[in-house]
Amino acid sequence: MRYTDFTVHDILLLLQGAGVSVALFAATTAIGLMIGLTWAVLRYYRTPVLAPFFAAMAELLKNSPVLVQLFLVFFGLPVLLETDITPVQAAVITLSGNTAAFIYVIAVSAIESIGREQLETARVFGLSRWQILRKVVAPQAAAFGLGPLTGLLVNQLQVTSLISVIGVLDLTKVGAILNLRTLKPFIVWTVVGLLYYLMAKLIATTCARLETRLRAHSQWKGL
Amino acid sequence: MTFDPTLLAPYLPDLAAGARLTALACALALAGGLALGVIVALLRASAAPLTRRLADIYVDIFRNVPFIVQLFFLFYGLPELGIELNAFSTGVLALSLAGGAFTSDVIRSGILAIDPGVIEAAQVSGLSRRVIYQKIVLPIALRTSVRPLGSVFVNLILTSSILSAITLNELTGAAKIVAADTFAPFEVYALLLVAYVTLTYLVSLTAGALHRRLNRERALGAN
Repeated sequence: MRYTDFTVHDILLLLQGAGVSVALFAATTAIGLMIGLTWAVLRYYRTPVLAPFFAAMAELLKNSPVLVQLFLVFFGLPVLLETDITPVQAAVITLSGNTAAFIYVIAVSAIESIGREQLETARVFGLSRWQILRKVVAPQAAAFGLGPLTGLLVNQLQVTSLISVIGVLDLTKVGAILNLRTLKPFIVWTVVGLLYYLMAKLIATTCARLETRLRAHSQWKGL
Repeated sequence: MTFDPTLLAPYLPDLAAGARLTALACALALAGGLALGVIVALLRASAAPLTRRLADIYVDIFRNVPFIVQLFFLFYGLPELGIELNAFSTGVLALSLAGGAFTSDVIRSGILAIDPGVIEAAQVSGLSRRVIYQKIVLPIALRTSVRPLGSVFVNLILTSSILSAITLNELTGAAKIVAADTFAPFEVYALLLVAYVTLTYLVSLTAGALHRRLNRERALGAN
C-alpha cells in the first residue's frame, strides 16, 4: 500500500531538496565566477591562444542546452576517460562551466564599458596594466556588471533544476518523487514552484541591495 | 580513450527525425509565444490596472520558476483536470507559455521605446486607438524587436531539449536512445552539442539579417 497524503513531513523533504539546490547553486556560482573572471582577465591581457580559445569555449557553452552538456559530462566523459563520475560531480562540473561562460560575457562587456580615455589617463600617470585593472577598471566594471549578473544568477538557480534528470536529489527530483508517491501533481509542483520563486526573489533583492552599495561611490554628491 | 564518430552514421536518420520534431515544436512554440507575448505586452502597456497587474503576475511567475517544473506541472497536472494532451502538445504548450513571458518583455520594451511624438501625431490625426495599435505601435515595436526576439527563439530551442524529460523523442530524446544503442555516449552528445550550436547560430544569423532588412531606412538615418 502506498501513502498518498501530502503531509508536513513532505514539506521538510522538499526543503531538504531545496538545500541541495542552494548548495550546488552557491558552489557552482563561486567556481563559475572564478573561472569566468579568469577568462576575462586573460582577454584583458590579450593572451595569445588562450584568450581566443576560451572565447570560443564560452560561445559553445552559451549556445548549447545545459541538459546536453550535462549528458556529455555525466554519460560521455566516463566512457571517454574510463573513469567513474558521480551525479553531483557531473552537476558541479557542468553548472560551473556553464556559469563561467555567461560570467565571461558579462565581465567582458563590463570591462569594455569603461571609457578608453580613462585607461589612457591611467597609463599616462604611469600605472601598470595590473594596477589599472585593480584600481580603475574593476570597481566600475563590478558596479556595471551587477545588473546583468542578477539576471544570470536568477537564471542559473533555475538551471540547477536540470540536474534532477541525472539523479541528483535536488528540489525538482524530490518533487518528482513526491509527485509519483502522492499522485497530487497540483500541490507538489505548486509548492516546488513556490520554493524556486521565493529563492529567485531572494537572489534578486540581495543583488539589488548590493548594487545600490557598489554604485554609491560613483554617485554625484554635489560640490 | 577511443573516439569514433563513424559509429553514428547508421543512426543519422533517427537523429534527423528528432531534429525535425525539435524544429516543429520550436516553430509552433514561437508562433504561440509570439501571439501570447504580443497580447500580454499590450495588456502590460494598457491603462487598465487589473489586467496590467494580472499580466505582470503571469510574466513574473513564468520567469522565476524553472521550465522543467512548469513542464511537469502541465504534464502531470492537466490530466487531473480531464485535459488529456500527448507529450508533444504538452511540450509545445509549455514552451509557448514560457516563451510568451519572455517575448512580452521584449515587445514591451519595443513599445516603450517608440517616440511618444509619433503616437501623439497619430492621435491628433484622429486615428482610433485600435488603428494606432494595429498600424503604428505594433509594427514599430515588432520591427525594432527582431534581434532580441531572435535570442528569445535561440533560448526556446535550447529549452526545448528539456522536453526529452516528458518522454518526447525530439533531438535530445532521440540522441539518448542512440547513446544507449551504440554505447558511445561521448560521440553522440558531442555531435548533439555541435548540432544545437549550429542550429542556434543559423537562427541568430537569420534574425540579424531580418533585422537589417526591416530597419533599413532607419539605419540610413532617414527616420
